[in-house]
Amino acid sequence: MAAPSLEPARPATLRLAFAPNLASAREVSVAIRKFLAEQGVAEKELFSYELCIAEASNNAVEYAEGPCRNLKPIAEALFTPTQIELRVTDHTAGFTLLERLPPPSPMTDRGRGLFLIQSVMDEVRYLRGTNENILVMRKKRRAERIPAISPKDGPSDFPSLEDSHRLLAECKIKMAKMADELLLRTETLSSVFRCCSELGRIDTNSEIFEGKLLVDLLHLTSADWYILRMLSPDGRKLLVAAASEPDLASEPIGFPAPGEKAIGIEAAVASSQTAARFDNRDSPDPSEPLMAVGPVGAGYVCPLCFGGKLVGTIAVGRRSGDFPLGRLQDEVIRAFAEFLAIQALSHDRRKTEVRDRVVARELEIAQDIQHLLLPRALPQLPGFGLVGGWQSAREVGGDFYDAIAVEGESLLLMIADVMGKGVPAALFATTMRGLLRGLAERSSDPSQLLCGLNRLLYKELSSVAMFITAQIVLVDMRTRQLTAASAGHCPLLFIPPGRRHVSSMPIRGLPLGVKSHTSYPHHVASMGSHAALLLYTDGLTDTRNPAGATYGQQRLKTWMQEEMIPGRSATDLRDRLASELNQFRGDREMDDDQAFLLLTEDRTGGTRRPFAADQITKLRRGSFLFPANS
Amino acid sequence: MKIERDGERLCVSEINELTAANSSNFRDEINSAMTGATVVIEIDLSKTLFMDSSGLGALFALYRATIKREGVVLRLLNPVPEIEQLLELTQMQQLFEVVRR
Repeated sequence: MAAPSLEPARPATLRLAFAPNLASAREVSVAIRKFLAEQGVAEKELFSYELCIAEASNNAVEYAEGPCRNLKPIAEALFTPTQIELRVTDHTAGFTLLERLPPPSPMTDRGRGLFLIQSVMDEVRYLRGTNENILVMRKKRRAERIPAISPKDGPSDFPSLEDSHRLLAECKIKMAKMADELLLRTETLSSVFRCCSELGRIDTNSEIFEGKLLVDLLHLTSADWYILRMLSPDGRKLLVAAASEPDLASEPIGFPAPGEKAIGIEAAVASSQTAARFDNRDSPDPSEPLMAVGPVGAGYVCPLCFGGKLVGTIAVGRRSGDFPLGRLQDEVIRAFAEFLAIQALSHDRRKTEVRDRVVARELEIAQDIQHLLLPRALPQLPGFGLVGGWQSAREVGGDFYDAIAVEGESLLLMIADVMGKGVPAALFATTMRGLLRGLAERSSDPSQLLCGLNRLLYKELSSVAMFITAQIVLVDMRTRQLTAASAGHCPLLFIPPGRRHVSSMPIRGLPLGVKSHTSYPHHVASMGSHAALLLYTDGLTDTRNPAGATYGQQRLKTWMQEEMIPGRSATDLRDRLASELNQFRGDREMDDDQAFLLLTEDRTGGTRRPFAADQITKLRRGSFLFPANS
Repeated sequence: MKIERDGERLCVSEINELTAANSSNFRDEINSAMTGATVVIEIDLSKTLFMDSSGLGALFALYRATIKREGVVLRLLNPVPEIEQLLELTQMQQLFEVVRR
């Protein structure tokens, strides 16, 4: 591919045929000088070109012989910005042009003309023909000779030398600025990339910011201090997250509420989400937090926001007050600010995601524990139905029950509520259930069992300031006698013999884990001819309806009285109670776990449902879970 | 062109150009103006803006004429830079006393 030419496609040309005499030759050289002057050739150059044309034209006149003396020689000038070519066509016999003529002796009168032409021009060629020869004289033009506007012709494509110098100087300044800008942007990008590469290895926002990034920012903006403030999680304060020097880590600044006046430049910048310059010399306000950078400190405060969400502020500057801040520095600081905001936001998001994953995993584990906690099947005695129900306000709860068949026709029933919910509560429940099973092998006395449980659990419970309310009832089916003891638990509800009213059996006793040595008095009662017994946790009576009213013990007693009538199976009653409680609650969220154990006369036999393995795995909040064969 | 005679001094001035077209005339006029009393010939080139090799030839001819007349001094006064360069290029400044006043 040909190199691009700066020359116009056609040079400006003047071609003059002139009468073969010296006076005409003189006129021609004057005309060509004028033509070249019009093309913008500088005055000091014109002399040389005029001289060359004059010499060649004179020769063309002087050396013509014979009939050729009447032929008109031709003088031409071809002008382009990079070259001037002069041609003179003569009708002489011609001569042999030596490559380069030596300077003629000053004492001779010959050979000066050609010598002058060769001295002045870059290239001289003599094209010889028959009675017609052409002397071609060329001179390259240097850039600084590109010149001048001819006022007669109006604006030219070629500026004057002075203009060219000015343009060149301007171009140099522009290029230097562009190079600086490019360097600064490259450095900014490099810094951002370096920071990105470190992100995976560090944990906290302040580590991100205190790392190389902010040091790079100082370097790039010629600043000597920085203060990074982050908005507190409650959005009320701007806390120093990082500062170039410890003395700049000043007190938190209040973030103004809507309509409230911002105190200090950083708060104003955060509030308006608009960057601002400051110079402590302009407004020496001692209450201004940025006075920490000194009485003559100056700088720039930029909000950290992304997608309209404010994260904090970054302030940079110089303690000396001489902080040059041009468009470029402004852009660099803004770029850093945006990057910091994105990092802070994405870091918070990552933290939340991790926390959510941890919580989800914790709940999976908790559900597994819960499955272990509830008895897979409840022991049954002929003529009686024992059922249990449980639902938790969360995926795992601290309410639980158990039933153990003991010697003869007796059942040991236990219900408990571990203070608190979630995994810790469930862990204590599991422990307690195991302990009870162990203790029950040696004794079935409710008082002794509670004493034993308290003794074994006290240390662990008190060390985490937790306690458990529990109730243990020994039911002797043969004598229809109830022996109950309670550790701060809700009263036992039952229907005594010969009565239709439901009685509650309030028994004193401290919850487990409150006191290391305590006794649990027991209470003995008889069941009526139609046995009806309900052990429950306070989640039942504390159930609230959408209006906020609690279900209460009285409603529970009424339900028992009305629903626990002869002929209804235990499972039927269980479903009715679950339905009753859920209906009362309506669409209100559960506040607390619920658990109950219900014993009734049940001669229906075959109504007991087999336990379905998937019943527990499909457990959902707000639906009762029932053990097998209950 | 103006020629003034001031005793032994001959002053030539107001020469706009010295070229092939006028150099013979220049030479002839000065030769005519020279007398036996002429000791100094001063050519004022301050107004001369163009000169070609024929003009240089005319000056060379004048130089030879002065050589023939022993003791006659030829001075070129105040040439413009272009003419001075031309004299240097052709080494002819060696032949004349070039004076700036």
